[in-house]
Amino acid sequence: MTNATQLPVKLGLRLLRGPAGAVLGMATIFVVATLAFFAINGREAVSLFQEMVMGAFGDSYSFSETLVKTAPILLTALAVALPARLGLISVGGEGQLYLGALFGTGAVLAAVDQPGWILMPLMLAGAMAGGALWGVIPGLLKTRLGVNETISTLLLNYVGILLVSFVVHGPWKNPNSLGWPATIEFPAGAILPQFFDTRVHMGLVFGIVAAIILHILVTRSRWGLGLQVSRSNPRVGATAGISYERNVLIVMAVGGLLAGLAGIAEASVIQNRLQDGLASGYGMTGFLVAWLAGQHFLRIIPLSVLMGGLLASADSLQLYAQLPKASADILQALLFIIVLAVASLWGRRRDI
Amino acid sequence: MEYFATELLTLLFAALRSATPVLAVVLGEAMTQRSGVINLGVEGQMLLGAMTGFAVASVTGDPWLGVMAACFAGIALSMVHAILVLGCGANQIASGVAVLILGGGLSAYYGTPFVGDKIDTLGNLNHTFVSDIPLLGQFLGPITPTVLITLLAIPAISIFLFRTRTGLRWRSTGESQDITRNLGHNPVHYQLAAIAFGGLMSGFAGAALAVDYTANWVEGMTAGRGLVAVGLVIVARWNPWYALPAALLFGASEALNLKLQSWGVNISPYLLATLPYMIPLSVLMLSYRGLRASGGGMPAGLSVVFQSAR
Repeated sequence: MTNATQLPVKLGLRLLRGPAGAVLGMATIFVVATLAFFAINGREAVSLFQEMVMGAFGDSYSFSETLVKTAPILLTALAVALPARLGLISVGGEGQLYLGALFGTGAVLAAVDQPGWILMPLMLAGAMAGGALWGVIPGLLKTRLGVNETISTLLLNYVGILLVSFVVHGPWKNPNSLGWPATIEFPAGAILPQFFDTRVHMGLVFGIVAAIILHILVTRSRWGLGLQVSRSNPRVGATAGISYERNVLIVMAVGGLLAGLAGIAEASVIQNRLQDGLASGYGMTGFLVAWLAGQHFLRIIPLSVLMGGLLASADSLQLYAQLPKASADILQALLFIIVLAVASLWGRRRDI
Repeated sequence: MEYFATELLTLLFAALRSATPVLAVVLGEAMTQRSGVINLGVEGQMLLGAMTGFAVASVTGDPWLGVMAACFAGIALSMVHAILVLGCGANQIASGVAVLILGGGLSAYYGTPFVGDKIDTLGNLNHTFVSDIPLLGQFLGPITPTVLITLLAIPAISIFLFRTRTGLRWRSTGESQDITRNLGHNPVHYQLAAIAFGGLMSGFAGAALAVDYTANWVEGMTAGRGLVAVGLVIVARWNPWYALPAALLFGASEALNLKLQSWGVNISPYLLATLPYMIPLSVLMLSYRGLRASGGGMPAGLSVVFQSAR
């Protein structure tokens, strides 16, 4: 009798001591911190928190908006996690996203009269090229000159955002937009497919497929093994014929390419045009999600949905509860800090 | 010729004023990195300092109180980095980004009511004896107190770092924590002080920007100055004296950007606005080449940080 009741308790305790306990601890601390943040600012903490959860997952519409936000977060998180497999810390998702939107829009404007079956692939190819370019540049700086990739990617983010501002205020500005800095509306052939009459778009599918492919490549392929060797010891890798330099360029380019897709999806489906303030903050949120997931491609998928929910509910609470947009940033930062602290203290292990 | 010299001097002193916030961060971050800790959160600390400084100056009407409050805000936020890195052993880059996002969020959240407020400024050297100096007076006059304080910090930091016992231990902590430990001191104390000093300087830099230079608060107004500064620390080789020319690079590119626009040069202001990022980045490339060739300058404890993602 006592044995029968003790067993589940024992099992439960063992689970709590493992990663599951750490995750539970993080979640609890985050909920408490969120409630405290609301309370400190004189809000009805519990009801506001409920509204937040409802705003993210409450009904099919809110959930669809959550998935809309999930797509760019997922893609930019992959753009961080892939370079991390080689020990690189790229914070360039934001700039790569903008460059993808820039080059993709360039392709659309260049072939605006073409039918969709030509226009769409051109647009996607442009976006991937733009994002990849903004990944390869810091990659080259790293391999050729040894410039730290974290700093170069951070600085290039600002340049990428300004380049988009340049074209929408200048050469690509729609003359009929009454002074509003934006390009012309994308033609129907350049709007990515959407699902179930919502704004949920192909970008999400790209992200999920990319995450699965990357997971398989990195865990099962020769190339993935090469990354591991390269990361732990580039010299050993080199003797086995694995070029660290080439791998740096590959992971940075592929990461940038994925973030570039996020950019063109935002321009095409969400904004219908290229304009300023395309997608501020997705790059940083993606960085955060990649770290929360321990740079694990498959874990990135559910975490992107959760973070997409946070952003979507922050949007709706801004409307209905006058909660400033910045609170989403604060909550993200709190979550990041809590996870970093708990994960680091939890035996400083690699995978939580 | 005289016209040219005047223009050049105007540009140089404009560069000095716009470089001051960056210089303060470079000095603080160089001290932090000398102890073996990198803090990307300076950008967020600068933003929180700018907002706090501006808000306090607006509410109390005393800009100097604003500057002090900004310094405290910078220190307070830097303690988040200290707790994560020193207390929990978290990755320094990730922790820095967390602080960066937190500072941006907090400053945007609590700064909204102060947008558009008018504040008293700290004044400048006009109408003092300095502005009566022949020829140079017209250039020295517009110099503000934060510029002077930041310039004075250079010799002060240099003397502390290279001429005092504590400074020696500070540097040795960055090279090897074991040395400090073997000398009977706790390296964590030095790193804590180093992070706090970085916080102080970045908070001050925020005030130099919001209370002094622009007398204005706008969300995200630092626009990457803190991150540029982290890059410039490498250009400056972690040396307070080299921090001045390094920061002037940023100041000059920003002053040049404004100057070219006022001359009516037919280049998009958005393209010109990339200069303050592109020029430091280009110099960073050059100095990395030098760093590779000479292999010197970087505190040994830092190279470990720069090499792992987790």
